[in-house]
Amino acid sequence: MMNVIEVSNLRKDFISYSSRSGLSGAFRDLFTRNYKVLSAVDDISLSVKQGEMVGYIGENGAGKSTTIKMLTGILTPTSGTVRVNGMDPHKQREQFVQTIGVVFGQRSQLWWDIAVQESFRLLKKVYRVSDADYNDHMGYVIETLEIGPLLDKPVRKLSLGQRMRCELAAALIHNPPLLFLDEPTIGLDVLVKLKIRKFLKELNEQYKTTVLLTTHDLTDIEALCERVVLLDEGKIVYDGKLASLQENSVEGKQVEFQFLANVTEVQLPHRREVSWEKKDGQTWIATVDGDERAVSRLISEVVQRNPIKNVRINEISTEEIIRKIYEEGMATS
Amino acid sequence: MFYVSIFFQYASQYLKTRLTYRVDTIVEIFSDLLFQAVNLIFILVVFGHTSLLSGWNREEIIFIYGFFLVPYAIFSSFFNIWDFNDRYIVKGEMDRVLTRPIHSLFQIIMERMELESLFGVITGIVIMYYAGSTLGLTFAWYDTFIFVAMVLGGAFIYAGIFISLASIGFWSDSRTDIMPMMYNIGNYGRYPVDIYHRVIRFVLTWILPFAFVGVYPAAYFLKREEWYFYAFLTPVMGIVFLSLAIFLWNSGVKKYRGAGN
Repeated sequence: MMNVIEVSNLRKDFISYSSRSGLSGAFRDLFTRNYKVLSAVDDISLSVKQGEMVGYIGENGAGKSTTIKMLTGILTPTSGTVRVNGMDPHKQREQFVQTIGVVFGQRSQLWWDIAVQESFRLLKKVYRVSDADYNDHMGYVIETLEIGPLLDKPVRKLSLGQRMRCELAAALIHNPPLLFLDEPTIGLDVLVKLKIRKFLKELNEQYKTTVLLTTHDLTDIEALCERVVLLDEGKIVYDGKLASLQENSVEGKQVEFQFLANVTEVQLPHRREVSWEKKDGQTWIATVDGDERAVSRLISEVVQRNPIKNVRINEISTEEIIRKIYEEGMATS
Repeated sequence: MFYVSIFFQYASQYLKTRLTYRVDTIVEIFSDLLFQAVNLIFILVVFGHTSLLSGWNREEIIFIYGFFLVPYAIFSSFFNIWDFNDRYIVKGEMDRVLTRPIHSLFQIIMERMELESLFGVITGIVIMYYAGSTLGLTFAWYDTFIFVAMVLGGAFIYAGIFISLASIGFWSDSRTDIMPMMYNIGNYGRYPVDIYHRVIRFVLTWILPFAFVGVYPAAYFLKREEWYFYAFLTPVMGIVFLSLAIFLWNSGVKKYRGAGN
């Protein structure tokens, strides 16, 4: 299968000037300036196949947006090569953007004062979409995103959730094979998020649309992406399946027992792979260093000796895994 | 052809929004008219004290002003890019523009057009007609075409200068007050250049050639033969300055740094 995105040794440096302090410093700045070179994206290589949905995650300032902007032809790379849909995004910009759709969650693609359908009409002309293609494809998009009743309202009168769905539809007017979404669910409520996720899934299945998604909401990634690319300080620190990221990083499971009566440590079973932590007299937390079998063995042993009120197995969330990676670096796997 | 049809699409959208804000539109046209009237009164006041200005009489100066209004109206309808730096670079709107398959400058011109400024064309022609009939000017049939070429040349010069200034935003996003200053300097082109010092005359002809927007082309219609060379240079200067500006713009886009989120 063909690679939709092909990036090698991509780098983007920004030069920033730092000013000296005081008046005399300001005078010296007039003649020689101190400047620092910051690599927002530092030597990354990446390839994405057609039909993949990739989550691109990282902290603020990790270089996510800069990468997306280079992939969409907005910024020129300092060095390295980018081929997206077989083209050089920046050099062949006008031809290239015809083949991609872009949604920036914090910026509007639509015209503020005119009705949504007027914006669509204008974009339809801009992307030179034929009436037949438009009716065929957009009919489906409008129906699935449930924006039919919003079409004759001006954008400024829409709520954020309504607007975001219209933005998404606007990015799909020319039915692009590749879709970039930069924080598409920022500030949205759960219902709208679910709607958007469901729609993206369907789109991916129906048209084999490749999606590259950045978000701070990891539940988006969990719901949509099999593959994640994790970025830290401009470098890729993980690129692979979301599931194996979870498996590798989970150092243990936690089981929380709530007993009917106070329990002391001697009443609990002791094994090599289990360590106990007391929360209060009736509640103990066991950290198990092992797989599910070790966990169930532990539970059965505890339950045989002590009557319990409640047992809870705490799965470590993706969010926590990623926090761990940032704090401790990637576990060697 | 594609760009022409896109222009009409944008223009019709523009008119639709304008029709929803009817009062605003009327107020804007009215304030434009008021502004033009004040300028005209200023000329009348000056000629209340003197009958000639370096050999130009009152009606001639009024004619130059009338001519100036026409290219200026075209410029201000389509090249509202004085706030380009704030609006597109600092706020990051340029990102959106660059993800669409149309030349970026063309998109910005379309998004920022203010068609009601075209009303100035009518005011200008009315003023020229008044001054011209007082002076007893006669025009040949081909003067219409020369008029169009001169007007476009003048509008291109204005556009070229302002596009070049806007392009600076790609290299440095610090605020400058250069734009309002430029609007002021632009007004110097409305008066005969021989009333100014040599240096200013040189600047207005070759560096910031605003003289080509008013006095030089108007001199052709006033049959001032000593200025014919400059008058016919107007379309050439227009094309040169606009081409330079577009070149500057295109190299600027490569340097665009984007706005951080």
